[in-house]
This record gives sequence, structure tokens and C-alpha cells, in this order.
Amino acid sequence: MKTAKQILIIIVISVISGLAANAINPKGIPLILEKNIYALDTAKQKKTVDGFVNDPYDTTTKKNNNNMLGSTGKKNKEGFIEPENITVELAKNLFDRNALFVDARAKEEYDSVHVKGSINLPYEEFRSKGFNEKSESMKKYNKDGIIVVYCKGGKCEVSIDLAYEIARLGFNSVNIYRGGIAEWKEKGFPVQP
Amino acid sequence: MTNFLANKYFQISLRIILGVIFIYASVGKLFRPEDFAKAILRYEFLPVYFVNIMAIVMPWVEFFTGVLLITGIFKKASSLLAGISLIVFLTALISAFARGLDISCGCFSLEETSTKGDIIYRIVQDVFMLAGAVIVYKFSDTKKAQETVTAEEIN
Repeated sequence: MKTAKQILIIIVISVISGLAANAINPKGIPLILEKNIYALDTAKQKKTVDGFVNDPYDTTTKKNNNNMLGSTGKKNKEGFIEPENITVELAKNLFDRNALFVDARAKEEYDSVHVKGSINLPYEEFRSKGFNEKSESMKKYNKDGIIVVYCKGGKCEVSIDLAYEIARLGFNSVNIYRGGIAEWKEKGFPVQP
Repeated sequence: MTNFLANKYFQISLRIILGVIFIYASVGKLFRPEDFAKAILRYEFLPVYFVNIMAIVMPWVEFFTGVLLITGIFKKASSLLAGISLIVFLTALISAFARGLDISCGCFSLEETSTKGDIIYRIVQDVFMLAGAVIVYKFSDTKKAQETVTAEEIN
């Protein structure tokens, strides 16, 4: 009984200290989280489907769109599903699920180091192609498969441009990993060569 | 064995080790509820409504538990509370591991890079700490500790 009382005292003091510290903390948080305000990190992480393994080269089976990461399944006015930004955690999660990683940088940069198993589609070359030629070069990939486009990280934007190019070709789950190869390497995730 | 576990100096060392780990684990989180809330969210373990209150209060429970363990005030209560906390952490860690969540522990630093190996390491560490807390709880009785010392003196 004595112990229970003492535990109660410790907890009460902790609650008071916690609330006080949170109240005076300029970066304090609301007591009750009504919805997940850190959605960028976690909401999309939740969309991962257990047991779902992506096959980027499987062009025959139509996958259920609800299972698709980064895909709302809704087309925009232009008629394609917009790419979404993803975090490094999610990028790794998708990597583990065999997503197709696309490197948007120039060939020399890709050759020096890239995400393990990624393919290289240098944006500068890709955008100068005509629609049919672009379509042709992406024909062997699953339109419902998960694609993650990246570049060097930091302020590079070719990953965004390339992701939109790919999405316009009718790929339904195109994701942009803004952290890029820099963050990927920093985290110690698999790279080649 | 009981004599050894109840030995005053063994008890004090154990309490200090546990206390220091608890304080060390808490200080980085005391004033960073937002980051800690994110770490908790990644476990997908608690209902969203409890995440913030947990992030606000838990580090302080850890902190005071650590201080009490070191100072030896409320020995039974602080070791029991340490044990309960560790069981909660263990449950979260094991469930995260079982579900294959690739998350960083959020145990000590909120900046840890995420690897699954990290989770296993933390589980092992928690089990050892839990054993320590149980030993303190069971054998911290002052009378027993006293007896041990006198028995040693007689020998």
C-alpha cells in the first residue's frame, strides 16, 4: 500500500512537471492529438500493406490501387495521378518492398554511386524525347507498381520534374524522395557500386 | 546468492546504474515533446489520443524514477515504477519488431538512425534493465540488507 502511494506521488509530480514544462516550452504540443499532425512521416507509412511486395516488371497483373503507396487513385485535371513526396523512412520501406528506384541524375553521377538496384533516367535526356519515345522506354515497367524517383538531394529538383514526366505516362504510384542519394548514403542504406 | 543480491553495496551500485540510464534516457526528451511524440507515433502502438500526453509525461516519470533510484528514496516504489516502464517499453519494442517496423528506437536519442538491429539490441538491453529493477525491488528491503552486512561482519 505504501509503495502504491509512493508511485502515485511520483506519477503526480511527473504529470505536473510534464505539463508545466510543456506549457512554458515554446515548442510545446497540445495535450490531445486529434489527428496525426505528423502525417508526412506516419500517415503514409501506415499505407504500407503487410505482405505486399511490389514487382516493377510485372506488367500483367493489375494491382489494387488502394494498396498503392503515394497514390490517392484520383486523377488530377490533366488526367494523371500526381506524384507525392515521401520521407526517408518511407523510401526505405518501399525499397524493402522492391519498389523501382529511378535516378534522375546524369549518367556520370549515377555511375559513381546510386541506390542499389535503381535505374538511371537522366532527366535532361528524358524530357527531350517525344511522348511515344518516353512511353516506349517505360513500357517494361508495371504501371501500377511503386516508383520512387530521386536525385542528389538538397535543392535538386530534377527528381520532381522526372516524377511528373513518368506520372504523365500513366504510372499510378510515383513518389518523390527529396532526401536523395545524399541522405540515403548518410543513413547507410544500400548503394551501388 | 540472496545474500549477494541483497548486499548493500550491490544494491547501491545497481540502483545507481539503473538511475543513471533512466536519467540519461530522459534528459534528451524532457523539453522536446514534439520529437518524442513523433518517435512514439512511429511505433503505431498507442491510440493517437494518448500519444501527446505520453510524450509530455513519460520523460518526467523516467527522470524522477532515475533520481529516486540513485538517491535511494522510495526504493520500492521507484524500482517498481522502473520495472513497469521497462515492461511497457519492451512490449512496444517487441511488437514493433514482430510487425517488422523499421523504426528507430527513440529510447535514448531522438536522432538515432533507424535499423532493425537497433531494436533487437534495445530489447536485450531492456531485459537486463528489467532484471536489475526486479532485483532492486525484491531485495532492497533495508532489514535484509542490514542482516547481510552483519552476517558478513560476523564471518
